[in-house]
Amino acid sequence: MKWDKDLSTRHGGLSARDRIVRSLCLLFLVAGVGILILTIVYLFIESGPGKGFPYRVLDCFTGEWQPLATPPKLGMAHAWVSTFMITGIALAISLPIGFGIGLFTSEIAPLIVRRLLTPSLELLAGIPAVVYGFFGAVTLVRWFEKVFQLSTGETILGAGIVLSVMMLPFIASTSAEAFRAVFREYRESVLSLGVDQLTMFRRVILVRAFPGLIAAAALGLARGVGETLAVLMLSGNTTAFPDSILSRGQPITALLATEIGETAVDSEKYHMLFTGALCLMLLVLLLNLAISFLKKKVYGTLYAS
Amino acid sequence: MTFRTWNILYYFFVWLSGLLGIALPLGIGFYLLLNGGKILNIAFLLDRPHGSPLGSEGGILPAILGSFSLTAIGLAVALPAGIGSAVYLSEFSCSARLKSFARLLIESLAGVPSIIYGLFGYAFFVLLLQMGTSLIAGSLVMAIVMYPIILITSQEAFDAVSREYREASLSLGIDHTEWIVRVLFVKSFTRILAGVVLAVGHAMGSAAPILFTAAVFYSAGGIRLSQPVMTLPTHLYFLVSEGVSFENAFGTALVLVIGLLVFNSLAMILRNNIKE
Repeated sequence: MKWDKDLSTRHGGLSARDRIVRSLCLLFLVAGVGILILTIVYLFIESGPGKGFPYRVLDCFTGEWQPLATPPKLGMAHAWVSTFMITGIALAISLPIGFGIGLFTSEIAPLIVRRLLTPSLELLAGIPAVVYGFFGAVTLVRWFEKVFQLSTGETILGAGIVLSVMMLPFIASTSAEAFRAVFREYRESVLSLGVDQLTMFRRVILVRAFPGLIAAAALGLARGVGETLAVLMLSGNTTAFPDSILSRGQPITALLATEIGETAVDSEKYHMLFTGALCLMLLVLLLNLAISFLKKKVYGTLYAS
Repeated sequence: MTFRTWNILYYFFVWLSGLLGIALPLGIGFYLLLNGGKILNIAFLLDRPHGSPLGSEGGILPAILGSFSLTAIGLAVALPAGIGSAVYLSEFSCSARLKSFARLLIESLAGVPSIIYGLFGYAFFVLLLQMGTSLIAGSLVMAIVMYPIILITSQEAFDAVSREYREASLSLGIDHTEWIVRVLFVKSFTRILAGVVLAVGHAMGSAAPILFTAAVFYSAGGIRLSQPVMTLPTHLYFLVSEGVSFENAFGTALVLVIGLLVFNSLAMILRNNIKE
């Protein structure tokens, strides 16, 4: 059959030109995903794998940070504690309000208010971290100095409050998605039983949307631990161990941003900083995988939104 | 408390959170406008930083130019790569498993904090490839930050084009290339553009990836690939952290926010057009 060959059915209906385009696109995909994987691999290489690596990871989470002592102590316990204190405060503020906004947009809000709220949240998400940091520095920090009689107003609490505002749009939109899916399924049948909004929410919506709400919290956590500029500007950036929410601290991202430019390449400190970065990235990757998994539970399919 | 009271409290709390969601961006916006508005004029936009300490007087022109060139070069790398990858995933990929694996990987990596990409760029581009702290190193890191966003949004745009167009087009005897260029790109253009605007806005506002790959406090030279640049977000950071000038910091923050506001509104308008 001569024209069987012309139609090139053997190549799945692809013409010669198609195959070039396909190869080109595949090249882009491989290069792009390759670079992203290279990021992980290269962080691992720079963190100095080898005999001392497990100790370094352990030290990273438990040790003190005194790089100028002899021998230098390079643990980052204070940074992890600061990170989780700030993110914890931010989540404690942002989760209830974010879920409230999620409920508001998915069920309670009149159409006009909803139309106003959606772009507002997008604007909130669009403000860069450094502007949040600056805004916090000129409002909260100055205010804290007066109210709590502090010498510097930079506190873990202030950083947490600003971070909660930054997380809000993400938590609100993720939880709104989950609420909307559940409301669509159950609203009519539940309300026809004669129950009120609160009971419907407590007994049906909250239960069914729970995995989606956990996903929202995980998303907030992932955003929070990775946030850099705002916490760098607001936490006070001191290497002392934070002992209360009104003391200053230094989250891991702020530590990395402060130290990396002034660290000799391939020194023990350099390897330690990259170990910290590697742990941070693995933590966030793990959270992101959990989010995908939880969303799958809510929506049935992995990538439907 | 009675049941009814709880129910009212529930309504009250939900309304309060909703209104807070509207009040917060408005409040931040007006606060910046009130404090930064007086410093914002043409001279501020078109002048270099002057004064002692440097940056306490003068304008932010080099930072604006730096931000634009950084994102533009990054976009020139990330746009073809992102759209090409999305075309492969939605048009050529035979295995559904590969497709969902690639999506999972890319979505996870899109959420990696940008400081991590900054560190990678510092170790890989600046040190290993010896690019130094330069525009090109920063642009490449920006490309890495933008790539997953562009890929995800364009793949969603392609998936939104009806299957019937594809079947009708291909059954007319045109090849895949023609279908992709003449139909798929045309039908999904607005969505892709909205995604690109989103990615550019995100990149332009972020300081963490370029803090140690491209940014300096002051650059007298022009925009050159091998030279470091000033950018708006890092300029704002340096002004505040060194305590140089809060007035100019307000101006810089306002310029940054207004610029991104225009960008994000553009993305929103594009997306609303799609719905109608």
